[in-house]
Amino acid sequence: MTAPHYLQIALVVLAAGAPLILLAGLAGRRIASGLAQLGALAAATCGVASLFAGHGAQALPVLRIYPPGTSDLTGVEFPGHVATDPVIATIAVTVLAVVLAVQVYAGWYLRDDDRQPAFQATVSLFAAAMLLLVISRDLILTLVGWEVMGWCSYLLIGHWSRKATARRAAYKAFLVTRLADVGFVIGVVALIAVAGTSDIDALNRDVVSWLTSCSPAGGCGRGAVDFAMTALIIGVLGKSAQIPFQDWLIDAMEGPTPASALIHAATMVAAGTWVLSQLTPVLRVGLEGTSVASWVLALAVVATMVYAAFCAFFQTDVKRVLAWSTISQVAVMLSPLAVAPGAESGSAAATGHLFSHAIFKALLFLTVGWLAVLAGSTAARDLDGIGADSALARGVWGLGLISLAGVPMTVGGISKEHVIDVASWAEDGGAHLQQGIVTVALLFTVALTAAYATRAYEIVAGRRSTAEPDADGAAQAVFTPAEGHEHGDAGPLVKAVLIALAIATLAGGLAFLGPLDPGHVNVGLLALSVALIAVGVLVGWYLRPDDALPPSRLMTLASNGFGADTAYRQLVAVPVLALARLVAFLDREVVETYVRGAGWGSGLAGWAAEWPHRRERVATNLVWVAIGLLAIAGVALWG
Amino acid sequence: MGLILTALLAPALVGFPLLLARRLSASVAGALALGAAAVALVATIAALARGARVDEPWLPDLGVSLTFGADQISGPLLILTAAISVLVVLHGQRHLPPGGPPALYFGLLLIVETGALATFWTGDLVVFFVAFEIVLVPMWVLIHRFGDNHDPAARREAALRFVLFTALGSSLMLAGILGLLAQAGSSSMATVATVTIPSGTSLGLALLLVIGLGVKVPLFPLHSWLPPAHTIAPTGGSVLLAAILLKMGTYGLIRLPVALAPAGFARLAPVLAAFGVAGIVWGGLVCLIERDLKRLIAYSSVAHMGFVALALGTNSALGLQAALLANIAHGVIAALLFFVVGGLKERWGSVDLAVVRPALRETWPGLGFALITGLAGSLALPGLASFWGEFLALTAAWNPAYGTAAPYAVWGPAEAVGWFGDSPADAPGLVQPGSGWDAGWVAWVPPTGFLRTLTIVAAFGAVLAAAYSLRVARLVWAGDAAPRDRAGDLTWAEWVVATVLMLAIVTLGLVPYVVYPGVGS
Repeated sequence: MTAPHYLQIALVVLAAGAPLILLAGLAGRRIASGLAQLGALAAATCGVASLFAGHGAQALPVLRIYPPGTSDLTGVEFPGHVATDPVIATIAVTVLAVVLAVQVYAGWYLRDDDRQPAFQATVSLFAAAMLLLVISRDLILTLVGWEVMGWCSYLLIGHWSRKATARRAAYKAFLVTRLADVGFVIGVVALIAVAGTSDIDALNRDVVSWLTSCSPAGGCGRGAVDFAMTALIIGVLGKSAQIPFQDWLIDAMEGPTPASALIHAATMVAAGTWVLSQLTPVLRVGLEGTSVASWVLALAVVATMVYAAFCAFFQTDVKRVLAWSTISQVAVMLSPLAVAPGAESGSAAATGHLFSHAIFKALLFLTVGWLAVLAGSTAARDLDGIGADSALARGVWGLGLISLAGVPMTVGGISKEHVIDVASWAEDGGAHLQQGIVTVALLFTVALTAAYATRAYEIVAGRRSTAEPDADGAAQAVFTPAEGHEHGDAGPLVKAVLIALAIATLAGGLAFLGPLDPGHVNVGLLALSVALIAVGVLVGWYLRPDDALPPSRLMTLASNGFGADTAYRQLVAVPVLALARLVAFLDREVVETYVRGAGWGSGLAGWAAEWPHRRERVATNLVWVAIGLLAIAGVALWG
Repeated sequence: MGLILTALLAPALVGFPLLLARRLSASVAGALALGAAAVALVATIAALARGARVDEPWLPDLGVSLTFGADQISGPLLILTAAISVLVVLHGQRHLPPGGPPALYFGLLLIVETGALATFWTGDLVVFFVAFEIVLVPMWVLIHRFGDNHDPAARREAALRFVLFTALGSSLMLAGILGLLAQAGSSSMATVATVTIPSGTSLGLALLLVIGLGVKVPLFPLHSWLPPAHTIAPTGGSVLLAAILLKMGTYGLIRLPVALAPAGFARLAPVLAAFGVAGIVWGGLVCLIERDLKRLIAYSSVAHMGFVALALGTNSALGLQAALLANIAHGVIAALLFFVVGGLKERWGSVDLAVVRPALRETWPGLGFALITGLAGSLALPGLASFWGEFLALTAAWNPAYGTAAPYAVWGPAEAVGWFGDSPADAPGLVQPGSGWDAGWVAWVPPTGFLRTLTIVAAFGAVLAAAYSLRVARLVWAGDAAPRDRAGDLTWAEWVVATVLMLAIVTLGLVPYVVYPGVGS
């Protein structure tokens, strides 16, 4: 069996697992949870097997609009291929490993939740969608995975649907990302129109040769490709929670922590990076130099990485610190795609950071979920000093944060160096201005990240405040356990998951010797970022707010995302609803008027015409006529 | 031959006597109707599998004959009709609407089925018209007699409006059909397709046919009969209306103007696409604030059929495929939603969204699961039926050069193309719209900028679908904690119906090619 076979088996196991887990839930929560963990284990095993099998491409037998082995005559092709290579297999394994960790963790975390089977079934489907997106070599399959993840995120964020805030957060997450997906869909459709096929490899090949072989003066469809990529990038910005779509991800913290770990670490938020990295030949070579698409991407990620890192520092809730840090880190991930001088360097750097981020963000979320269960809340004031007595808590939390801060030799450090290296690697004729802006923002982000990582560590590990948490402390908490939710401490299995992830933040660096090899190390850059991290740690240590005190005005504003929610409502929801009211009014009063006129007219005429026939039983007589006709027709035809 | 006649006559021969059997008990009438519907379903599938044909002269002087047969366009619609009819009759065993004798209700359902099946089977223009009209009266009685009994005046008005609108549409369509007959001298669709009609005349006929059939689809702004009809009709009636009657409209568009007046339709197509997109946005916006859930689903139908109109308006082979997929998908999804919402109305008395009620996810999780599946389908989630039609409609509209629709749209492009047959490519030659056609007219492609603008607007319209579907989910499905009520959840009939429809929605989403397989390589 080849690697695509193994990963397709994993795909089937996860996708078919979803309804089976739901059904098993009718028999009992423990059975369903066991099944979910078993499915994730089987899928992860298939993933590991795929690393050692031969790579290749295959046509997916489902999700096609015509049967495999046939073609159509509509002038456009949907080959529906899935494929693997060492990088694809590595990312697939990463996804599957995170999914396994999340399923095991959810088995403990939600064991008292009556909807645990629904949660774990959704996680399974979510994982299948992400796996499909990773192995897809066809834009339509990518779109399928993309949208199914959006739907699953709706269900996961709204899992505790008995809370109004969770319902709203789920609604908001879906609508914001779906709105941005208009760009994604239009981008896919426009790329298909350009290339005449939805196959990603054929598209890359054809568009690049077409754009590079023609004279620059003619334009030769460069505008159409640029438009398509810009539209696609808008969709990516939505799912990746980049400015201006960033706010949904913060509200999404309403979901149970395993869901946050899944969404942030290896799936939905990082998926845009993967999609764009598959299209780097078009983005970085076909549209070589500056294009509208690369400018849109560059400006969005520059603004986002700095702004989000800044916001992260001032949150009053630790889970929200992590959410902002994801937004910032995904911007870092996307940045080489905007400015890298070549196709391969950009996609390798982005993919490398996607891999690292999956590991350390899963670790951070799962740790904070565990600590929050002990503290009863995720608010910074309630978590204050929660890990002071537990070496394990301090160890896993600290390792995750060191990796997040990008300290050399951790996974996060290696991949971040690679990103900065690629972004600042000037070549003659390269986009110098763009590269300069992105590099400065990246360096600035390095320092800011170290600062908020320091604060996050200090909250958990240091016991600075001796003040008792007061009564309204719980009111700020995002996490409030459901009624009758009695958690003990995490079992050994969950702790083993945390330890495994912590080891991976160190040992995962080995992957960079293999398929994710960054090529070379820039020593000067390494020294510069170590210096910046040290500055960030010092700044974070001295400027960190005291969480026992009431939050400052800046912290309140930052915790509310600086009013982004209000802006969404005023700029989008209110005008659309006003338009809807106008349309409903027109539908009722204008379109209906000509209808009523006709209705009254005919009603009158009908009444008049009916008058002489009042006494006849029309319906009955007609029926006999009809039966007679039918009988005659039947006899005539059979005879 | 016998199979097609069995499929047509089984519901008719049981349905007409049932109309008169006023004193027949509900269980006997229901069993008879279920038997007839099941026979029709089995006969339909068997006839499709064997590629059955009927060709008997009926009115030789007028060139009218009883021609029945199916190809890949009508095949899926026939299965849809026969299967939905079985489900509706089954649902009626447990959920009988008040307002008249049970036998009358079942009889009406079966007659609607007969008319719809004949519409999809026939290859003759006159028979098509007659079959199309057979459906009208029983549907009117269903709304008028068995409709929502809260407001008799509203019921009368809804029924009246339904009849007036569709009759008006039918008369325009009849004028168009007579025009085609006059031009071709034959009422056989296959023959008419080979005749060259002057381009100007073709445009006039296409206009008559598009407006006439557009009422049934319903195409914005001819849609205003639909919301009251759906709101008032009993659950079974709503389902028939959404899953079968609207499909007759789109099917007619494919078979008549697209296939038989290609030159005129090519010119008209961008206008059709524009009205389709207007319907998508209009329906979607109304759904954002509509208070009555049944009306809301009706307006969402206007939006979904807008995608079908957009797809047909591209006048491309890909667009035709998109229209067929979207058409079938809407049939199963709207059926599921109307079954669920009808069930809610039966339990709650009304489906006013402003009234706060216990969340379905808490009290009746079975109904809740069916509702959320229907809503996911309604927002065109990939993996469910509706995604393919809507996505391919956008693809086709962005680049309308993907093939020409007309050759594929002609009824029975070749002999013996069963639904399970390999493909029409194995058949001897598609009907190419004629050598005599004005090539400039047939191949006319509208300015791409216009269609691309429509595509972008339609993509935003799809976001409205997400907004209103999740609005419903937020108001009805999710909510505060409430005790579970096992007894009030899905009845056995609802359980069977919902399960079958949900399986169909997922299957069509995973293997959409069963609806319209591509052409063999």
